[in-house]
Amino acid sequence: MFKLFKKDLILFLHDQRSVILTFFLPVILITLFAFAYGSIGSYNGRSEPVRLLVADLDQTSSSKEIIHKIDSLDDIIVVVSDSINSRELVVKGDYVCALIIYKGFQDSLEYGDSTPIELIYDRSREMEIGILQQNLISTIMSSTGETIVHNSIEEYLQDQFPDIDKSTRENILKTAIKKDDNKLSIKWTSIVGEKNDTKLGLIQAVAGTAILMLLFSVAGVGTSILEEKENGTINRLLYSPLKRSAILYSKMLFAFFISVLQLTAMFLFAWLVLNMDMNVNMPGLILMIIATSFAVSSLGIFLASIAKTRQQAQNLSTIIILVMSAIGGSMIPLFIMPAILQKIALLSVNYWGIQGFYDLFWRVLPLKEILPKILILMSIGVVMTLASIQLFKKRITKLQ
Amino acid sequence: MITVRSVSKSYGNIEAVKNVSFSIAKGEIFGILGPNGAGKSTIVNILNTLIKPDKGDVIIDGVNINNDGKTVKLIMGVVPQEIALYEELTAHENLMFWGGLYDIPKPELKAKVKETLGIVDLVNRKDDRIKTFSGGMKRRINIACSLLHNPRILVLDEPTVGVDPQNRHHIFEVIERLNREGMTIIYTTHYMEEAERFCDKIAIIDTGQIVAQGTLKELKHISDIKDLVTIKLADAEKETIARIASENPLFRFDSTSSTFEVECGNIGKDTPIIINQIQKSGGVIERINTRGTNLESIYLKLTGKELRD
Repeated sequence: MFKLFKKDLILFLHDQRSVILTFFLPVILITLFAFAYGSIGSYNGRSEPVRLLVADLDQTSSSKEIIHKIDSLDDIIVVVSDSINSRELVVKGDYVCALIIYKGFQDSLEYGDSTPIELIYDRSREMEIGILQQNLISTIMSSTGETIVHNSIEEYLQDQFPDIDKSTRENILKTAIKKDDNKLSIKWTSIVGEKNDTKLGLIQAVAGTAILMLLFSVAGVGTSILEEKENGTINRLLYSPLKRSAILYSKMLFAFFISVLQLTAMFLFAWLVLNMDMNVNMPGLILMIIATSFAVSSLGIFLASIAKTRQQAQNLSTIIILVMSAIGGSMIPLFIMPAILQKIALLSVNYWGIQGFYDLFWRVLPLKEILPKILILMSIGVVMTLASIQLFKKRITKLQ
Repeated sequence: MITVRSVSKSYGNIEAVKNVSFSIAKGEIFGILGPNGAGKSTIVNILNTLIKPDKGDVIIDGVNINNDGKTVKLIMGVVPQEIALYEELTAHENLMFWGGLYDIPKPELKAKVKETLGIVDLVNRKDDRIKTFSGGMKRRINIACSLLHNPRILVLDEPTVGVDPQNRHHIFEVIERLNREGMTIIYTTHYMEEAERFCDKIAIIDTGQIVAQGTLKELKHISDIKDLVTIKLADAEKETIARIASENPLFRFDSTSSTFEVECGNIGKDTPIIINQIQKSGGVIERINTRGTNLESIYLKLTGKELRD
């Protein structure tokens, strides 16, 4: 069996395309996804600030104050422009959106009318708009709201208590309109992922992409069984004193070995290049790599066993891997998927693998908490292996 | 060396091999001749224990294949019809791998690989990958891979399909050399001239059945086919033709081609006698054609079909 394994390893190393697909392509994809998910980059581990065009047609102290407040936000960089130019730049796609403060803004605050303020934006760039939404709206609302309330109370005091002295009036106003230091606010506290420096997006990128690419690699190993059947080398192996089962077991061993190697290489890359925190439960990580590799490699061999030809196996593998990876969270993080898809995801190897790595790297759970996922992955591997052995005997080594 | 008795094998309703029996002596080259799909490969796979026959017995070098398949695999070397090699490996790597499956000690295997590369005349290409080889060279390495464990019986399943004449000649030389060294060879082919050239005995197989077997001479006898001598006369006058026909009742005249056709047992011996008789009867010969009995004609006679590439 080890002779067959060695032969497969030499064949693999001779085939540069396989080596590139197994190691370099996943590295490139992991890096791309890691950037896409916003875990690494120059802006303190966060996404780049959004540049917001602002056209101040009012040119009053109120409009200037609001622009100053927006500019002080971390996620927004204000670029001052005029209204015509702003529209043009958004239409051309140079900017995501523009805030136009029309003439009469300050007056509207004083009289409590609706504020002439407009945000024009490009609907196709909703992600960036989303980032703006929270900060921009809260800033504008608090500023405008404060002014309106201030003016209303002052007007009321003037009408009802015209003789009140200036200092008492200011004290009343100060108490009524709570400033930043004592205004009502919700404290936001994250309780997950605080114990390590690794960002969730990076874990998603590494685990998701690694499992996706792993599936493609082992599907290739599985397909090589059919290739050997088609070019007659399986029959020739059967002419030798080798046991029939040794042919399958050697392929499984090779697929498992490549899987372990690939996953390990991906985590090493993430650690050395992407600064992924590897200060995790090491036995847990080793077991997760072994269990994921076993489940994925068994699935790859199983896919080859159910196909009749190499072409059929390639097509079938591509479809199944892409569908499973899409629903299992390799391509899109599971938490942004609808609830029904999150339930269907339980059927995929990707789900259990990715969740296991989340448990290790993000939730920093102890081994006993990760064990159920490891057992599920091992069970998938056992079932797929048993099915493959039956199908292999029936289909692959059948001579007529 | 090999005894096959009443062997049959069916796949569902299809009878791939029907009641086949033959025996092969040590050092003999035994040809199995038949068109594609006749059952040749099924017989090869039964001999090599890969397919279990539904009925019958196969004894190879005293071993019943049903009892000890592993020993049979060590006795036999099989050259498959396909070029069953790893294209990405070199010739040397392929030979080391295939030989390694027989648990030959490494130093011994290395020496055997070197020797075998010499037999197939590819020592200078040993470090080249198989994918860079021509079809004929691949066929030669395909044979070499089956010789590494010193088999006593070599089965060659259509070893010259798609091979150019030069490489075909190389392969023939290898087979003849191995046979001279005492190896028993089973050679399946659908090329008549190959069976005629090598085989001590030939089995003609059609739709899973052996329709005839024996030496070429025995097959001629079984098929009752005669050699043919055709003579065209220079002066085809009616009186001369009638005189020749009356004096030689076995000479048949074909009026459309104006030739005499004479069936005989042996062209070499009988042609001078026929010429002499024609001349004695007053005939002047313009042209003589001869057609010896070959496997093509025997096959046609026995199966009613032509064997084509």
